[in-house]
Formats: sequence, C-alpha cells, structure tokens
Amino acid sequence: MSGTLSIPGTYLLVGHPNVGKSVLFHRLTGAYVNVSNYPGTTVEVTRASARFDRDAALLDTPGVLSLPSRSDDERTTVRALLNEPTRALLQVGDAKNLRRTLTLTALLAELDVPLVLALNMHDEAAARGVTIDLKALSEELGVPVEATVATDGKGIGALTRHLADARAPRRILQYDKAIDADIEQVAAAITQHCPHPVLAARGLAILFLGGDDEVAAWMRDKAGQNFAHLATLRQDARSRVEGDLPTLLARERTEAADVLAASVVSRSVKSSPLLSQRVGQAVVHPVWGLPILLAVLYFIYEFVGVFGATTLVGLLEEGLFEGVLNPAMTRLIEAIAPASWVTELLVGQYGLWTMGMTYALALILPIVTTFFLAFGVLEDSGYLPRLSVIANRLFAAIGLNGRAVLPMVLGLGCVTMATLTTRILHSPRERLITTFLLALAIPCSAQLGVVLGMLGSLSFKAVLIWALAMVGILMLTGFLASRLIPGRRIPLVTELPPMRLPIFGNVLKKTAGRLKWYLVEVIPLFLVGTFLMFSLEKLGVLPAIIRAGEPLVSGWLGLPPEASAAFVMGFLRRDFGATGLFAMSASLSPIQAVVGMITITLFIPCFASLMMMVKEQGIRTAATMVALIVPFAFLVGGLFRLALNVFW
Amino acid sequence: MSRDIHTADHHAVVPLAFITPGTEVRLASLGEEIAPHQREQLTAYGLAENRPITVLQQRPMTVILADEVELALEHGVARHVWVRR
Repeated sequence: MSGTLSIPGTYLLVGHPNVGKSVLFHRLTGAYVNVSNYPGTTVEVTRASARFDRDAALLDTPGVLSLPSRSDDERTTVRALLNEPTRALLQVGDAKNLRRTLTLTALLAELDVPLVLALNMHDEAAARGVTIDLKALSEELGVPVEATVATDGKGIGALTRHLADARAPRRILQYDKAIDADIEQVAAAITQHCPHPVLAARGLAILFLGGDDEVAAWMRDKAGQNFAHLATLRQDARSRVEGDLPTLLARERTEAADVLAASVVSRSVKSSPLLSQRVGQAVVHPVWGLPILLAVLYFIYEFVGVFGATTLVGLLEEGLFEGVLNPAMTRLIEAIAPASWVTELLVGQYGLWTMGMTYALALILPIVTTFFLAFGVLEDSGYLPRLSVIANRLFAAIGLNGRAVLPMVLGLGCVTMATLTTRILHSPRERLITTFLLALAIPCSAQLGVVLGMLGSLSFKAVLIWALAMVGILMLTGFLASRLIPGRRIPLVTELPPMRLPIFGNVLKKTAGRLKWYLVEVIPLFLVGTFLMFSLEKLGVLPAIIRAGEPLVSGWLGLPPEASAAFVMGFLRRDFGATGLFAMSASLSPIQAVVGMITITLFIPCFASLMMMVKEQGIRTAATMVALIVPFAFLVGGLFRLALNVFW
Repeated sequence: MSRDIHTADHHAVVPLAFITPGTEVRLASLGEEIAPHQREQLTAYGLAENRPITVLQQRPMTVILADEVELALEHGVARHVWVRR
C-alpha cells in the first residue's frame, strides 16, 4: 500500500482551523464553500470535482486543532480519513506557524498516505519576518512543499502540479522505545484483525493509543469480537507508562516538530507590531474593547435596522409592491381569474402574491441582505473570535465560555446554520445549552429585522425594552440550564486570527450564497404558510382558532384576537409570524407591539431549525425543548404585559 | 511535572497570569490542574516546554503571542501555566 496510488480516488484537504483550506478548495475545484476569518467555519465535509483531474474528487474537511480527534468537527475529519478512498492528502498549514503545522504532519506521516504540504498565508509570514527554507523542508519530509497565498491564487498552479508527485512522507520522529514497542504491537494486531485499505496500521495504532474515539469505533466495527484484544493492548500500554499516554504521544510529536521547524525557519529582527496586530489588540483591550463593540453594534443597527428595515423596506414595500406591483397584479388577476376564490387565493388578504411573495421579497429580503453583508464583513475581519474574549465573562454566568458567542452571533443570521455550528463547542453540555438558547432567545436576521422595523418605528424605548428582555431571558434561562444540566464548564482557550481587511468579492459571494439558500428555503415556506392561512380562513377554521386562542392571546397577552393568526403562522417560521404582527402594527398600541414581539421572538423556532435540532440533538431532546419553549414564550409575554402596564 | 519545577526553581517559575504585559517568557510546564484535554489543546496551539511566549495583555483575559499566533486564555487556565522569565 505504501506510496501507491489508487486511481480514481479522493484528495483530502486537511489542516488546522482557519489556515485557508476552504479558499484553496475553491481555487482547486471552482466550488464555493463558505469562507471566513475564524476557526470553525467548516463543520462538515464538502466534495467537488478537482479542476486538475476530472477523475478525482477533492474533499474539504473541518479544521483539526490536533489529532487524535476530540471535538465533533475533528471527528468528521477522521471519519473522512477512515472512509474515503484517499489518493493523497493535501495538508494546508499556516506558514507563520510551521511548528504547529509540522506537529500535525508528524502524525499524518504515520498514516503512510501520499501527501503534499501547502504552506499558506505566506504573505503574512513574510510580513512578520518569517522565512522558511522550502527546499530543505521538502527534503526532510520527502514530499513536495509549496508556499501559497490562496486568497490571491499565488502558488496554486505549482501546488496542482505537485499533487501528481505526492509521496508518502518520511516519519519525522521516533517515539520513546517502550512506547514505540506498544505502537508496533497494536499495529500488528490491527493488521491481523482490521487492516485498513489505505491507512497504515501504525498510524491507526497511534490514533487509537491516543484515545481517538472515531478510530476506536471503526476498529470495533471491523474487528468484531477481536476488538477486545485491541482494547486490552491499549489498556496495557496505558498502564505501563508514567503519565497520560495521549499527552506523552502528543508531546513527542511536538518536540520533533520543534526540532524540524527550527532547522528550516529563520526570523528577521522584530520590527514594531503590524497595524493589523495593533487593531487586533485594541478590540480586546480592557478599556477600548467595549466602546469598539458598542460602535460595531451601532453600525449594524444603522445599516440593518435603519437602512435595511426602514429605508429599503419602505422603498420596496410601499413604493414598489403596494404602489405598483400589487395593484397591477390585482387588476391582472381579476381580469383573467376564472373564479373569485382564485382571485382571493392569489391577491386577497391571505393571497400567495399579496401576502406570501410580498412578505418574502418586500419585507424580509432587504433586511436579510443588509444583515448578511454586515455579517460577512465582520466574519472576514477576524472580529468575531475577539468577541469571544470580550463576552467570556458574561457567558461564564450561563455555564458556557466565550466560544459560544460564535454560534449565538451566527444565530442572528440564521438559527438553523448556527445550530449546526454548535459543533465547534467542546462538550455535549455546551452544545445542549447553546442549542436551547438559540431556539429560545436568538432571533434570526429576518425576525430581527422585522422587530427592528416594527419597534424602531415606535420608539427607541420599545427597541431597548425588547433587547433587554431578550438578553435578560437568555441570561436567566442559560443560568438555570447550566445549573440543571450536569457537567463542568470548560474555561476558554482560543486562537485569535489576524485582523484582516475583508475582501469585498468574498463578502458579496457569501451574501449571494446565503441569500440564494434563504430564498430557496423561505419562499416555498411562505407560500405554503399563506396557502394554509387561506385554507383555514376559507374552511372557517381560522376564526375558530382565533376564538380558541382568545383567552391566551387577548386575555393573557392583551393582543387583538386577530394576532392568533400570527402565532399560527409562527409555527411555520417565527419571522413569518413576526411579519404577520408587523402587518397589523397600525392597530397595535406600543405595549401590545412590544409584548407581541417578545412572545413571537421566544416562540417555537422555525421548521428548518427544528429539523436541525432533531439532527444534532435527537428527537427526544428537540421535542423537550419545544415543549418547554412554547408555554414559556406565552408565560413571559403575559408577565411583560402586566409589568409594562404598570411601568410604561 | 509542575511540582518538580516549583521545588527545584521556586523563584524563577511563575504563573503566566501574573506576568506583566509586554514581557517575554518561556514555558516551563502546564499544571496538572488543567484538564487533560485542555492540556492537549494548549500543546496543539504550540505551548510546549521552553517555547518563547510574549504576554500582550492580562485583562479581560490573558492574551499571548506564541510563534506569531495570538492566543487568549482564561485566567483559570493561565494561573496553571508555569513560565520562566
């Protein structure tokens, strides 16, 4: 198997988080995957045909901080290694930090699979005075090594040519004799009981001894009853060493990487810090960090809440749809419709065009567009990981660490995607708490925009009450959840990637991709929702629901009975429900508007995010969350009504 | 590991959390109070014995520069990272 190529096969892009794998993937395949400047952007594998070899596929994998795998995204990468017919590995490393890159190479080399090493972000390394002797490194490793700047396309041509010369690397370390004997013993057992068609038994033995659960599960599956023998060998090896075996293995790899890196890296005399480093430090500065955060939030509010939700929505809804398109469409339908119910279905109160398409295109689209643009700039700047430093203390109160700020902020874009991103968190407990809080108290961009548009037109006070209510509920429920869900909080340790000037083209591409995804999901659901409302109205069920919901909606929340319809719509999508309330805002008092928005924000998450919750947490957990969230939303809404009637 | 160093070289080894910003230090050891998986994580980030570290700030978290990579550590962790001046 050693060094041979199985054609056709898969090229696997592997490497640490945030080293540019996805940009390189785009360069090598033409397929666009989401790219950002923070670790954990990729949490699932993406496959596409390689531009340089039509028979081969290229697989983008989530970044691995280290192997053996510990987190869900690392396990995804190990699964890809175990299950793909790997033709070669393309390891992408950060040229600024060769030591870390080589620590991973030290392990990959043991898998005995052809490998090419791309040292990316070479420009940033050069700016910091870091020079690498690529020729010497290539000779030491026995594989092609290429310097790249994936964002500019530099080095991509050479890298592609090198892939044809991919060879299995030389081992770069000899483990301690006693440990090595254990590795060999386990490797022999793997060869006997569960040989892998691509990966060397020795590499698998090192991962297994290092405590990789994914490798262990694969072995259990392949070796059957003989797995007990492998488990015994691992237990014996662990009991023979003084200290923790996975730690000792990792330390030996780190030391070997240190030695090799030191022999090929030279550094020029340090000059003053770069501007990006100064900015990076300012945004987490104990004094300047908070004012900068407030300025960023103010910018987002102005761009999304004022420009998107007020100016653009005004132009589109009142100007284009209400003023031009809807009257024209109504005239057209009335002229050609064979029956009055068809007219009502298309352009009536619950018309597919006048409600479904108008909500989706005139009310929601401008809001999500401005949000995704602002969010893309933040993502690519490197600000979001720094936000985790500023927010860490706040998150400690709810049993999480600042890392959870990433899914939470992503949730302001789309709760469904954010639920998937909880995979970057390190423990099931953190994931459970974060998923619950996302489902309960984080409004997605569409809903956020509707809230800002509706309450912003009332008064700043109304927006502030809603925002404080959401933060308060997030903190309170997070605090309770952290006390009820067993397990310990994990202190934050995180990398802060360099601050970078966002590339406008990438921000636009990301926004376009997200908008496409959003529209494909939203328009059918809005149309289905509208049709449902129309049918309920025609069948006489909607008035019955409104009557049935009256004690809760009017009696407890103090809203007009018709608001029940908005909550029915909210079962499909929260933002659809919120838009329903938005549409009746003229008939709501300020207190009713705030109570309505608080209730609908806390209400059941949208159908897509519910499905994602089921996928990530299982149906039982998802059902429990929904069973808690719906009554809680009404309870809190009613309590706010009582409080606001006293204090407004 | 950390205990041996404390005894042998008590004055030279101090917790990372107590180092003044702007100072360059070298890593002595990672205390056993840090959870094993987090020790692995720190090692993976490049915190290995004798590697140089520059402390950039201590509040709201300890921020260090190790091998051109900025890392932020909560004080609960930085208190158990032992360094030599």
